[in-house]
Amino acid sequence: MLLINAGLNYNREQCLYSIKSCNNIENLMDMISGILNTDVVFLQTCTRCGKDFACGDCKYDGSCSTKNLPFSCVCPQCLRDGKNFEKYLEKF
Amino acid sequence: MLRNDLLWVEKYRPKKIEDIVGNEEAKASFVEWLKSKRKSKKAVLLYGPPGVGKTALANATAREFGFTIIEMNASDTRSEKAINAVAKPATSYVALDNFSGQSQIKGKGNILFLDEVDGIAGNEDRGGVGAIIKIVEEARTPVIMAANDPDVEKLRPLKKVCLLIRFQQIRIPLIIALLQKICLLEHVKAEFEALERIAENSRGDVRSAINDLQSLSEGTHTLTLQDTVMLSSRNKDISMNDTLRGYFTAKSIAEVSSLLSYSSIDYDDFLLSVSDNLPKRYTDPAELAAAYDFVSQADVFRGRIGTENWHLLKYFFNSLSQAAAVNPESSKPFTLITPPIRIITLFWTKGKRTMLDGICGKIGAQCHVSHGKAKHEFVPFVKELLQRQKASLLIEWFKFTPEEVDFLIKMNRF
Repeated sequence: MLLINAGLNYNREQCLYSIKSCNNIENLMDMISGILNTDVVFLQTCTRCGKDFACGDCKYDGSCSTKNLPFSCVCPQCLRDGKNFEKYLEKF
Repeated sequence: MLRNDLLWVEKYRPKKIEDIVGNEEAKASFVEWLKSKRKSKKAVLLYGPPGVGKTALANATAREFGFTIIEMNASDTRSEKAINAVAKPATSYVALDNFSGQSQIKGKGNILFLDEVDGIAGNEDRGGVGAIIKIVEEARTPVIMAANDPDVEKLRPLKKVCLLIRFQQIRIPLIIALLQKICLLEHVKAEFEALERIAENSRGDVRSAINDLQSLSEGTHTLTLQDTVMLSSRNKDISMNDTLRGYFTAKSIAEVSSLLSYSSIDYDDFLLSVSDNLPKRYTDPAELAAAYDFVSQADVFRGRIGTENWHLLKYFFNSLSQAAAVNPESSKPFTLITPPIRIITLFWTKGKRTMLDGICGKIGAQCHVSHGKAKHEFVPFVKELLQRQKASLLIEWFKFTPEEVDFLIKMNRF
């Protein structure tokens, strides 16, 4: 109930939790971490290549104010890689 | 002056929702709310730091979904009367195009967009929040609001009727990617490290990053890490004193413009300080009048900029620069007045104002009049009565303390 109040949705048929609201995402992560007794880390999906990666792989990890929060960013490889850039422009 | 007159923040303002960088979840929630015909809540409050796409989302949505956007921002008075005059008609009717059946692109009516609702001021915008809530309850069209700080006390009732959508700072890699795109389109060959520094310096504010990129690549088609050195000096926060000193000793308009571009002082305080110091800078009355004329122009532009229309900033800088350069030859060293006199006065008179507020509160409670009426119509008479004789009955009835009686007797003006 606490989790649902904090912004989670529960699908009874699939027995799956999903995030309904990201407004209190930090609290939600703390609560889940507390329940599971381990750190909760969201993987980022690269908007250029579509791969998932962790914030720990990024060199801006220290200066990012939204690290470990959902959901999309640009992975370190793609940021340096000019080849994917045109594809990304189409997306932008 | 800029390479072409259009600021890049305007030129690359997102046209579609997908053009807005970052905050994917917030964008999705917003679109879902709009498509569900606002079943959950009738209004939405987008909140988060500046430059993350709140206003851009409202504008891009209106464009994409065929709404006409009616906007009220901090530069408008947002009292109950003003809101009812503008917002009520905007949210009461749906577009005639919906019924004509002749239009190829059916208009969906209006969107009311209230920007910077956390800036609705106490006195000037009296009744504004209440009027907005009433409009939200009766609205037949979407009502979108934006705020930097949603925890402002006066927004509490408003939050109850709104779907809250949080915007986060934009991540550095996303800002770099956007800057890379702009560089490509503007034919600027930029070093990756230079873009990296601009993005880091922006602290998640896309608008600030694009402005920095444009100012640094002005008049050149290459951008190196070395060119971004000025940015770190801005991070050091040049003090008001240093900025004022630089301002009053500048020899040209360009020098002043450059100084202001790289200083992170509060523009409102700076304007007040310039105004305070001008009589010391110009001793010739004609020069002083000319300088004040430019400062008043700058003040007008500052009002129009608010927190959103930053494309007008160059006019603000330009007017201020002209005030500094009325007669560069006559510049002599002088002791600067800082902080602004108005702020010092407010600081020193705070005790007196608090005392007067307390007295007006007591008069208001006993005589059933407003605070303003007590101040302007009752206090002068009470003061007169107390000065002529220590009217003990009056003091007792109003429950004035000896300090308040003393204050009323000695006060010069109210």
